[in-house]
Amino acid sequence: MAKKTLTYEFVKGIWRENAVIKMLLGMCPALAVTNSASNGLAMGLASTFVVAASGLMVSLIRRIVPGGVRIPTYIIIIATFVTLAELFLKAYLPDISKSLGPYIPLIIVNCMIMGRAEFFASKHPVTPAVVDALGTGIGFTWVLVVLGAIREVLGSGSIFGFAFLGEKIFTPWVVMVLPAGAFLSLGLMIGVINYFTLRKRRAA
Amino acid sequence: MDSMIQIMLIFISAAVVNNFVLAYFLGICPFLGVSKKTDTALNMGFATTFVMVLTAAISWLINNLILLKYNLPFLQNVTYIITIASLVQLVELFVRKSSPSLYRSLGIFLPLIVTNCAILGLALFSALREYTFVQSLFFGLGAGVGFTLALVIMAGIREELEFADVPESLKGAPITLLVAGMLALAFMGFAGLISA
Amino acid sequence: MKKNSPLKMIITLSVTAIIIGGLLSGFYKLVYPQIEANRIAEEKIAIFTVLPEAKDYDIVEYEILSKKKGTEIVQIFRGKDENGDLMGFAFVAAGPGFQGIIKMMVGLNLEKTYLEGMTVLDHMETPGLGDKITFDFFLDQFKELRISPSITYIKNVKPKHDNQIQTITGATISAVAIVKTLNKKIAIILELLAGPPGKLKVVAEPAAVAVPAAVAVPAAAVAVPAEGKGK
Repeated sequence: MAKKTLTYEFVKGIWRENAVIKMLLGMCPALAVTNSASNGLAMGLASTFVVAASGLMVSLIRRIVPGGVRIPTYIIIIATFVTLAELFLKAYLPDISKSLGPYIPLIIVNCMIMGRAEFFASKHPVTPAVVDALGTGIGFTWVLVVLGAIREVLGSGSIFGFAFLGEKIFTPWVVMVLPAGAFLSLGLMIGVINYFTLRKRRAA
Repeated sequence: MDSMIQIMLIFISAAVVNNFVLAYFLGICPFLGVSKKTDTALNMGFATTFVMVLTAAISWLINNLILLKYNLPFLQNVTYIITIASLVQLVELFVRKSSPSLYRSLGIFLPLIVTNCAILGLALFSALREYTFVQSLFFGLGAGVGFTLALVIMAGIREELEFADVPESLKGAPITLLVAGMLALAFMGFAGLISA
Repeated sequence: MKKNSPLKMIITLSVTAIIIGGLLSGFYKLVYPQIEANRIAEEKIAIFTVLPEAKDYDIVEYEILSKKKGTEIVQIFRGKDENGDLMGFAFVAAGPGFQGIIKMMVGLNLEKTYLEGMTVLDHMETPGLGDKITFDFFLDQFKELRISPSITYIKNVKPKHDNQIQTITGATISAVAIVKTLNKKIAIILELLAGPPGKLKVVAEPAAVAVPAAVAVPAAAVAVPAEGKGK
């Protein structure tokens, strides 16, 4: 295996191997909670915590766990960190906990997190494992925030809860905060990114 | 018969009105990944429905007989995911022994079901809504039917899309998401079903 | 990673389970007081929202028996004005909405003739449509809404009677569900309040709820003494 720098492991998750827009992982939360930018941010940060913490644990115990029960052990570890995050939000950020509701426990089955644990953390020492997880988490967070911002601006005429477009000059497109809007905006977002990637590749 | 009507409402609501895939975004991964051929989609849907009903039953028992009784709500996530993972394993073993032909058509999908968020979502949602045992069963069945429906419709559309002239940059996931968006809009029309 | 003896696998999983069980229950104990405090704070704000003139409140608990759920504790919050005089009642009503349970705090005036106000505590209705049940234009309709005869609803036009509310376009189901839940719960609360205030009391669900008559059990509910929770 070629020696790769930590910077590389960190940056790749943010753009080149971004979980949502390139790998199409973690779609459930990306679609479900992005009806506002702040919800997207909260979900992104919670997932970042879980992916980093479970990356750390999985990497620590990678030599101890027998192969046959690798996946169950990882799932239990992930579920534990998700529960910790859920309890923390409930106690100290009750508003966010309320608006994300049952989608917080669903972080457990976010394939992005299992993917990082299984394909990266279980095969690498602690430092690269955590760095890789942080990069993945930040990559996930920014996509959720951008998607949430787009849907919030068009669907509610506000951003981070701050209504800068008055009801009088702008009629909110309710569809954008509905489920259908989630599919449409993420589809178009990936489409636009693909368009520019293809154009760059053709130019090169 | 108030309860009978309620059960029907739960079933219809989970199957079409609040379709798991199109309204709750649960089970998106297989929805985007598997749904390329109608018959595969149908098999996947059956396997998932089966596991869903089982999960609904067992997670209800765990939640009401153990977790709530001994005041252990913080163990809900962990126990549910372990239950689902073991359940899928057991079903796989059982199907392989008892019906090889069924195993051939369903078997390959079973491992995938563990990471299907629709299953965990089902367990969590039915706990959150404080359903009775029978209501949970029908909730599971409805969710499974809804999942199958969405998967099969999507697969049908994608079979046709093969012949369509999709712009280069929209090929693959983007066009699937856009189609899903239209489907979600169409399914919103079912909302009127319950207004009675 | 080479050896896969069953014993080793069982040990690994058991050890993991014990560690995480301990970790989770420890953390739960640690944050539970805060979660509970949040819940009470939210309850307090809701009570003062639906009983705007209340400055303080105490809690009375009743035990009711229903065939479906067995015994159930119903709390009634008794609002008091600045002199400590009783000025109204507040209670929680919860029932199925369009997607999940809608949970509300409801305020009732002292004469038990109309609602002082209503606010939504918890809901899972569709964002953009059903969640309009939390908007002021909808909630304001419940101020001074007569409860006898039971609350009714009307679509698309202004309410014609003082016991009527107008539903929300695009969210009729949510609004109708609220009216149904309220009527059910108000009937129970009125039955409870008909007894001596603050006394131990056990009631079966009233006939208005259309549930088969239940058997009354011996009194076990306790009236919680006023704790001066407000302020």
